[in-house]
Amino acid sequence: MALINVAAREIHCKIVYYGPGMCGKTTNLKYIHSQVPRDTKGDLLSIATETERTLFFDFLPLELGKVRGFLTRFHLYTVPGQVLYERTRVAVLNGADGVVFVADSQRQKMQENIDSLKELARNITKQNKNFRDFPIVLQYNKRDLPSETLVPISTLDKYLNGMNWQRFAAVATTGVGVFETLRAISKLVISKL
Amino acid sequence: MMDPQLTSLIVPTEEITKIEECLAHLVEDTGSDYALLLDKSGQVIASKGDGDRQDITSLGALIAGVFASSREVAKLLREKDFRASFQQGVRENIFIALIEEQWILCIIFNKGTHIGLVKVLTKKATDELASVLERVRQQHKARDEVLGSSFRTSMEDTIDLLFRD
Repeated sequence: MALINVAAREIHCKIVYYGPGMCGKTTNLKYIHSQVPRDTKGDLLSIATETERTLFFDFLPLELGKVRGFLTRFHLYTVPGQVLYERTRVAVLNGADGVVFVADSQRQKMQENIDSLKELARNITKQNKNFRDFPIVLQYNKRDLPSETLVPISTLDKYLNGMNWQRFAAVATTGVGVFETLRAISKLVISKL
Repeated sequence: MMDPQLTSLIVPTEEITKIEECLAHLVEDTGSDYALLLDKSGQVIASKGDGDRQDITSLGALIAGVFASSREVAKLLREKDFRASFQQGVRENIFIALIEEQWILCIIFNKGTHIGLVKVLTKKATDELASVLERVRQQHKARDEVLGSSFRTSMEDTIDLLFRD
């Protein structure tokens, strides 16, 4: 749940990037960090293994400045995607206000996407939140790969987007769709404050 | 009726004052360096202590992460959760205590302060903060009453302005 500090006139929201291993969650945060104005962002903090795989989470604080007298902060987190770290994902999801589910568009990753989304639903429900009402945006990443290796968007929709969430095609490495996704989830979270 | 988990936790000015007083007492009575109150999501609600810490945002995110992670460890041990944890360094130590399931109280102190004293006084402080939390949860202030009705539109404009390539 978002936190509104009336004395300091601050609003804090937590957004988590979720999805299977190597789908591009950290890449999303790295791109955002490289593009937002200096006075908007804090340091990007990563707890990763020696091989640059996320071990615990990445953390990027964004400060949007004063809006109608309230200083608004978005804290972006990623979870570790590997199956091994399910309990760690539960820990990072704690208190999240919104989730970006990053799906890997490659054919061979389809089952992992489906499993990861099911796990997300389970973990949100375990926090006594209603998964149907929970702010979620989908990102279909890696759309720049050769078309014969990709799952068509309509198929991704069929298997992942039964809830009709907003969804965006993306190439996180070059930034395509990254900010579109961030704008969508931010607005969705604000609408539920 | 809206799902209570999806509504925001609005902490009014008078309660922030009480929280800050409580943290100030804790720092003074234990001779600690720093005390901070976090939301379980890692956001800093209030802090008291020596000087301005630049790294407080990262500190909040990491401590909440450690705590959430230890809760999962607890579950694997069929324990509900660990109510407190202690991290010992060469110069600095950290004692962390849970307030209900929502807030985390964190005290940073050096070798001049005895851990026993920190534990006892933290228990007193968590009781006080738990009653603050209870009052915050009970109040039903509408969001518009606090933020103003045009907040959402202004916020959307800011998001469009800042979050772009």
